[in-house]
Amino acid sequence: MTALLPYLPILIILSSLLPGLIIFSLKETQIKLRTWLNMLGVTVKLIFVWLMWRAVKAGQEVTFSLPFLPGADLVLHGDALSLLFVILSSILWLATTIYAIGYLEGSPLRSRFFGYFSLCVSATVGLALSGNLVTFLLFYELLTLATFPLVVHRGTAQSLAAAKRYLGYTLGGGVLLMFGVALLHMLTQSPDFTPGGYLLPLVASDRALLQLAFVLLIAGLGVKAALLPLHGWLPQAMVAPAPVSALLHAVAVVKAGAFGIIRVVYDVFGVQSIQQLNVATPLMLLAALTILYGSWRALAQQDIKKRLAYSTISQVSYVTLGVAMLGPLAAVGALVHLVHQGVMKITLFFCAGNYAETLGIHDIRELNGVGKRMPLTSLAFTVGALGMIGIPPTAGFISKWYLGLGAAEVDQGWLIGVFVLSGLLNAAYFLPVVYRIWFTQQRLPWPHPQQLSKKLETHWMLLSPPLFTMLLVLLMGLFASTDISPLSWSELIVEREFSYD
Amino acid sequence: MSLALGLVIIPLLAALLMLLWPRLARGLQLAAALLCTILATMLLQLVQQEGSQQLFIGGWNPLLAIRWQADSVTALLLLLSAVLHLLVSGYALAVQQRDKLAAAFWPLSSLLLASLQALWLSRDLFNLYVCLELLGMVAVALVTLSGDKAMRPALHYLLFSLFASLCYLLGVALLYGAYGALDLPLLQGQLQANSLTAAALVLITLGLMLKAAWWPLHLWLPAAHAAAPAPVSALLSALVVKGPLFILVLVWTTLAPAAFLNVAAYAFLVCALGALLLAGVAALRTPYSKTLVAYSTVAQLGYAMLALALMLSFNLPVFTAALWLFVMAHALAKAACFLSIGEMQQTLGVKKVAQLKGASQTMPLAMFAFAVAGGSLIGLPPSGGFLAKWVMLLGLWQAQQYFLLLVLLVATLVSAAYIFRVVVLAFDRAEPTAPDFSPQLLPQWLALLPALAVWAMAFFSMPLLAILQQELS
Repeated sequence: MTALLPYLPILIILSSLLPGLIIFSLKETQIKLRTWLNMLGVTVKLIFVWLMWRAVKAGQEVTFSLPFLPGADLVLHGDALSLLFVILSSILWLATTIYAIGYLEGSPLRSRFFGYFSLCVSATVGLALSGNLVTFLLFYELLTLATFPLVVHRGTAQSLAAAKRYLGYTLGGGVLLMFGVALLHMLTQSPDFTPGGYLLPLVASDRALLQLAFVLLIAGLGVKAALLPLHGWLPQAMVAPAPVSALLHAVAVVKAGAFGIIRVVYDVFGVQSIQQLNVATPLMLLAALTILYGSWRALAQQDIKKRLAYSTISQVSYVTLGVAMLGPLAAVGALVHLVHQGVMKITLFFCAGNYAETLGIHDIRELNGVGKRMPLTSLAFTVGALGMIGIPPTAGFISKWYLGLGAAEVDQGWLIGVFVLSGLLNAAYFLPVVYRIWFTQQRLPWPHPQQLSKKLETHWMLLSPPLFTMLLVLLMGLFASTDISPLSWSELIVEREFSYD
Repeated sequence: MSLALGLVIIPLLAALLMLLWPRLARGLQLAAALLCTILATMLLQLVQQEGSQQLFIGGWNPLLAIRWQADSVTALLLLLSAVLHLLVSGYALAVQQRDKLAAAFWPLSSLLLASLQALWLSRDLFNLYVCLELLGMVAVALVTLSGDKAMRPALHYLLFSLFASLCYLLGVALLYGAYGALDLPLLQGQLQANSLTAAALVLITLGLMLKAAWWPLHLWLPAAHAAAPAPVSALLSALVVKGPLFILVLVWTTLAPAAFLNVAAYAFLVCALGALLLAGVAALRTPYSKTLVAYSTVAQLGYAMLALALMLSFNLPVFTAALWLFVMAHALAKAACFLSIGEMQQTLGVKKVAQLKGASQTMPLAMFAFAVAGGSLIGLPPSGGFLAKWVMLLGLWQAQQYFLLLVLLVATLVSAAYIFRVVVLAFDRAEPTAPDFSPQLLPQWLALLPALAVWAMAFFSMPLLAILQQELS
């Protein structure tokens, strides 16, 4: 086992990359083989991730590096923080793969879809495991390229327009990120990510350049994290198939941006440099504004997926806000919200996809009485929605609790006001939906009902993923204090990586 | 140095033999291309181990003889052109029956290789003129292979090319009259900053800029490159325009007196900005797919101009490295672009960008090749284009050229826009253009090959930079 250890990061990437490449070459009709390859990739990846988790938990460091640019090797590094994101995306990939197989049953061009699907996850785990900024940049751009064919997959005029906009935003962001990384590389090369950052010695001499670099990096990452003026692509990207939306919102793209912000703040600049550069407050304000703006816009949406999209804009900024507060408790909140938001949001998207696929429901007004027709899906949706609002005992409560504590710790009381207001808005746009589902009578016939299963309310491959993630939402909330919960892992990260605790 | 001689003589001889025995043309072409690739590899190794090699043709002393020199940049360029020639020959072989490629392609392309290799090696102003002239003639002849519709663009190309050669020759004559030498190393540092030198340099530069299709003197290029058959366009865009560029760099880095450098740098800078932005926009607007790729060549040459301008105004070795990295990355990527677009044009029987609708379903491999090559043109990591841009970015930050950084940002986005203009369309599922015949796999793979190579280039950044650095020290 120990001989395998240094290769684990690359093996984790290859476990989805290789099946993906093989899938490209398969014929449309080789459905069984494709499904097997997919499931094999997921299983092997989970085994490797488990091995790495054991090693990191025991305090070992896992590093794999290849020579790349002068002064910047291609470094893959497994530490507690990267593992948080790797575990999240691997487990959710399992759920999303099963869901996608069910969702796309019988539709054309599935080899292409699943090929890019695997590439997308490979890029995401690569990004999570990146050990320095140049490696991060590389996977960040690869992620853009791998997700674009998924966004455009349906090939309608609408999805072409959405894909163009998506590319415009993300490539623009990628270029900004590249400029920022190059600036930092010019100043100090690109050393490995270090807890506490590596730029402190430069703060006195190159203050303005460092501030510029920070702005460039955050702007580049902010595009994917959908920070306020850069969020325009996200609601439009909703035309993609439901598994892709789930991937964009919970597993890959949006999370990649948020994760990048965490890395840049804690492991590139470090809390001390950020404080001395006075750049945290603008970021905090921007994040707070995004939280309120996203919630406010979500209120007005009548399309289920659109409402969820604006809700994502708002919820992901909790992570950014938690990071920008620069306190340890807020850091715990931000990290744990990265996981919790992912699991909750993916549940909601799975459910939205189920309503659309089984009954043809896209509009919130059509949901009346759907709780009777699809009780399990509706249950999952309800749990996800309650989690988003932050009602105990769901996972959402835990992360908001820590974020609130963090705000109090760093004496930013007004942020608690932001959390309360946003929580109220969350309730205002989720509770009426839940009310419609359970407590109103069906008025009109379902728009486009399909019989996908004889016994169950819908196809089992569509039903099991949301139930699985719903269970996770509850377990992560109920057992937050046990030592395998995301919360305790986040506390471990904060303890280990952030010098101030 | 016999290696270097072989690199020129083998394709020349092959071309002659092809004219004598047209039936053997294809075999000879492949054999010569393979042999050249092997020789070029050996030469590169030799140069790396023993430093740059010199040859005085005829064994005369430097004042009389023609000097050929194989330094590390030349060795790299020799290898690049040999490899691309081999690849394009393979592609031409694969499609010759289907596309009814004229028999003249084989000897002409071999001649093209011979003149290009001689150009990389030569360090003598007049000998360079001969190579340039030969290169231009062969290139025009290759464009005419498309038949009648290519006559007008070919004629334009010919006229521009002749005029450019005359300008260049006049400049060289002026220099010879004043300094009595044509050998570049002999002339180095000799030129005085007077009006005669200025006139000579302006003429030489003008001629070379015309030949290299530098904005705003690029007008002949889009039509000529778009009209030629796909393998020819690939050779022209990937290699031929780099020849005059190479001479320009030689002239301005070794000959020009220091007093002129700033003015020249400004002029080149203006051309670079025009190329990067305006030619990019032209690529964005043209309705024809091959013209799009041709305009992209004009735009991408802007990076090389920018690097040259920066080389002249800042004494930073990164810009020299950036220039040659751009040249290599662009050559590979552009070959892939032209081959894949040509393949799609032939198979789908269409010319317009809009008609490539749905190509990712009908011809996934060719479209993928185009997208991958386009990624390098944009400069996405980890590709050769990224490597070049990265090196240039580091230099620009170091030189604190904030305006140029902004230009680079906009230029990158423009290139992304015209590449993805095609790629997005390929995913359109409504009414895809149906292929005229079932797509052939081999040519599509051959189009993909240089695209993959340019992405692999990023992983050889250390050895590449080491070779380029060897040149600088």
